Amino acid sequence: MHEMGLMEDAIQIVSEDAEKHGFRNIDSVTLIVGDLSNVLPDALQFAFEAIKRSGESPLLSAQTRLDLIRERGRAKCTVCEIEYEPTQYLAICPECGMPFGVLLSGETFKIESYEGS
Amino acid sequence: MKVTLNRNVMENNDEAAAFNRDLFNKTQTLVINLMSSPGAGKTTILEKTIGALSGEFRMAVIEGDIATERDADRIRALGAPAVQIATEGECHLDPRMVAKVLPEIDLDTVDILFIENVGNLVCPSEFDLGQNHRVVVLSTPEGNDKIPKYPLMFHVTELALINKIDLIPYVAFDMDKAEKDLSGINPKSRLLPVSAKTGEGFETWLNWIKDAYQACVKQ
Repeated sequence: MHEMGLMEDAIQIVSEDAEKHGFRNIDSVTLIVGDLSNVLPDALQFAFEAIKRSGESPLLSAQTRLDLIRERGRAKCTVCEIEYEPTQYLAICPECGMPFGVLLSGETFKIESYEGS
Repeated sequence: MKVTLNRNVMENNDEAAAFNRDLFNKTQTLVINLMSSPGAGKTTILEKTIGALSGEFRMAVIEGDIATERDADRIRALGAPAVQIATEGECHLDPRMVAKVLPEIDLDTVDILFIENVGNLVCPSEFDLGQNHRVVVLSTPEGNDKIPKYPLMFHVTELALINKIDLIPYVAFDMDKAEKDLSGINPKSRLLPVSAKTGEGFETWLNWIKDAYQACVKQ
């Protein structure tokens, strides 16, 4: 359960930026979460609700929304060169069984945007 | 109003890890991040290691646990400086927690710093602390399955100490299979059987540390 710490980091980054813009409220936060980023979307939502309730982030209100955009994992086999959707960070080719496929996407965990007012 | 950020959530951690690494390089301190599940024997390995190398190197330890000072007390009993990080719930150490306690250690007078991570085979593997080397400990009673079950941990480490080999007559642990599983997940990693209780295999482990120290100082 490292999502709590990561969610706090995300809120801190967004809050600092929102303060620079002079916003009084953060209406929504949009994160991109890769399938292979080792971050669980459900746990992020749970952490987000807990942070909202804690009252430690004054720019968040009960109405602030967390939107998650899923980035699917893609990998390329180094032997047969096919592209496939790996089920874990250690990408194993479904055709030839070769591990260590080159990851093309799915590792992202970033703040895409937020809405403030 | 919508504001596009496109910022990595881990950026604070990446910056802190770079800060730590820079400090370790400047002070020529070899830093080893030791990880395992709870009870695999990290602290006992450190006790034995510090006991064996105390004539040659000046060592210090950062201990990470959810609660208590118990591990740090065990290290201090050997005369080595130890700082305890009580994470109060977090299941891993992150580089900022480490950066925060570094002022408590005089790195100019330390040759080797061990960071004993929170006992957990999952989250600690995801956080770069700025260390030179990541080492995982797996004990024989935990069984062979831990290697394929927690692939990221064995993928990011470069040495797997298989501890408690004195228990092999009593537990089902197949060293050949462990070697095969490890090379399938990380061909660059090395498997090293040890017993912190009997000292078996320790010479190889201590030599690995000495080589790592030489490489770190020559950088």
